[in-house]
Amino acid sequence: MTTLSAQVDPETRERLADAFRRIDGPMLRALAEAGLTWLRTNQQIVNSLNVFPVPDGDTGTNMTLTMQAALEEVADSSESSVGRMAKAIAHGALMGARGNSGVILSQLWRGLARGLDDLATMDAPALAHALDAARETAYKGVVQPVEGTILTVAKDLARAALQVSSSPAATNLDVLEAAVQAADESVERTPQLLPVLREAGVVDSGGKGLFFILEGMLRTVYGLALSEPILEVKPISQLQLEQTVEAIEPGQDWEVIIDFQPKVELDIPAFYHQLGEMGTSIQVGEGDGLYRMHIHVPDKTEFQPVEYVRTLGTISNVRIENLMLQLPGGAPASGKPPLRLAIPSPEQIAVVVVSPGEGLSRVFGSLGAAAVIDGGQTMNPSTQQIVEAVEQAPCEKVIVLPNNKNIVLSARQAIELTKKKLAVVPSHTGPQGIAAMLALDPDGDLDTVAAAMASSMQAVRTVELTVATRTAKVDGVSVSTGQTIGLLDDTLIAAGDNLGAVLQETFEKAGAGQAELATLYYGEAIAPAEVDRLADQLKSRWPGLQVEIHEGGQPHYPIIASVE
Amino acid sequence: MASSLSQPAGRITISEKAVATIAAQAALRSYGIVGMVSRTLAGGIVQALAKDPRHGVEVSQQGGELQIDLYVVIEYGTRVTSVSSSVARTVRYQVERSLGMPIGDVNVHVQDLHISFTE
Repeated sequence: MTTLSAQVDPETRERLADAFRRIDGPMLRALAEAGLTWLRTNQQIVNSLNVFPVPDGDTGTNMTLTMQAALEEVADSSESSVGRMAKAIAHGALMGARGNSGVILSQLWRGLARGLDDLATMDAPALAHALDAARETAYKGVVQPVEGTILTVAKDLARAALQVSSSPAATNLDVLEAAVQAADESVERTPQLLPVLREAGVVDSGGKGLFFILEGMLRTVYGLALSEPILEVKPISQLQLEQTVEAIEPGQDWEVIIDFQPKVELDIPAFYHQLGEMGTSIQVGEGDGLYRMHIHVPDKTEFQPVEYVRTLGTISNVRIENLMLQLPGGAPASGKPPLRLAIPSPEQIAVVVVSPGEGLSRVFGSLGAAAVIDGGQTMNPSTQQIVEAVEQAPCEKVIVLPNNKNIVLSARQAIELTKKKLAVVPSHTGPQGIAAMLALDPDGDLDTVAAAMASSMQAVRTVELTVATRTAKVDGVSVSTGQTIGLLDDTLIAAGDNLGAVLQETFEKAGAGQAELATLYYGEAIAPAEVDRLADQLKSRWPGLQVEIHEGGQPHYPIIASVE
Repeated sequence: MASSLSQPAGRITISEKAVATIAAQAALRSYGIVGMVSRTLAGGIVQALAKDPRHGVEVSQQGGELQIDLYVVIEYGTRVTSVSSSVARTVRYQVERSLGMPIGDVNVHVQDLHISFTE
């Protein structure tokens, strides 16, 4: 900490203190972004601190993802008030809170926002008050707070902030500096308060994460780099390798652990950098000249770390484990998040969905689908395939969502061919199916639940863009081969050469002006950047419309969208 | 009797009550959990806290495995799914560590949300 402020001369510091005398909405967002960047840079350090009985997967990853969700919420915000910006960030953090530490972090943001109320700008007393409100709110979230955790760090930094801000001349920079220093010291004290940390010889991971967020804010004020991590090599005995597979992220297909003896002294920053290019969850330990490294890498690159380490020295031991086998959905495609399906208990209702694309399958899985049949417009699954999926479901009560008009009939035929109690909710499109899933109550009565899902399905309108395969006049619209056509709830209503224009015209007919939310599921053949551009066009034409983007992965349809 | 382990010198039995106490204490230390309610009081009150150390926990045998059901009140404004999965993992970890044997399902029933602050 002292080293940090020593990097800024008194005159510059004076100028900076002046520039940050009042913090408005955009400044708060910039600070939070810096906090996220610095946290992300040091994510592996935080991950490596993780110890059980704080069963929280990778704390650094969870906190980073939570901050990321918080900032995505305000990415396009033009909010000038610091209080309302804080509220929006807090909302994003709540929606994206991951793991225990993420939930606490979201509570801290919520408290900060509460402390700022609707203030236009904040000065030192307001900042200190808000940090104290963050502490108060975070402590309200648990009956028996455990000291020596992120909660303690939040408490200590708030106390320091209040103390400094009581001086009339105090600036925001004074408060931030005091908070960072107090957080740093508090993190170092956590092992004294929490025996499990002391036994493991580590400091609290969540507290450390909070420290990095605040330090990132201070670093950006000072104009210091946020991209170079503070590197750590721990004794081998302190590596926490058992817990690293708690939460498997995209691209973490293989776990590789290598023991080696370097030929020459290891250049640690370069080593981390090289590993960082290959994968995630990096940990390095050392003992008696022997190094142990741990990394998660994407599929088909699992030997890359071995080849790299071979150039550095003598390898004594290698362990390579396939993490994909530990997932219920089996092996995911490389670089993609795994498909996670619900595992209902026998007395519950299982939902079998037909999905045209991998991305949509993941959405269905996240909403509680127990099985997915690949299929869609040009690849209708047979009744037999549907019956098989139904028979394989671990439940006696099953609901099928065909998600395509042409598959509804096959699905209905399956009712006669299975002994199980089967209901078909006749969804014609993916978005209808997703809307139906939102009404799923796995513990309910089959017919009641199916009826509720069918009615929930009516709440969305489906927009689909595809390419005309022949010249024709359909539903009063003339189309020629190769043109983009827009369908609204299966009815052709627009055609043209420009994807964006057809999308807008279809959205117009779908009542985008009155709608609140549009979700775009983009197909396998369209570039994500193109989708972003289309979404921006929609947002600028209908400012009241919230536009979400998901990978759908379907063929033939560049865009499938729901409007609700 | 909740569970029994065969030992060279005899059997050790652990009652459901003992397991429930461990589970309840772990749950109350888990972030986002602001209370436990008994199933019959669902939607009810957070008051019975601390009086009964097993409040809001049911332990049963399901197919030879211990099943734990937690009836919890969560702080309003936290992400319920994250809090629920955290408490389930914490309770499983603490109970398994204390018993020295694996247990079956840990189910979390969110009975109510508690509002500390009105926004």
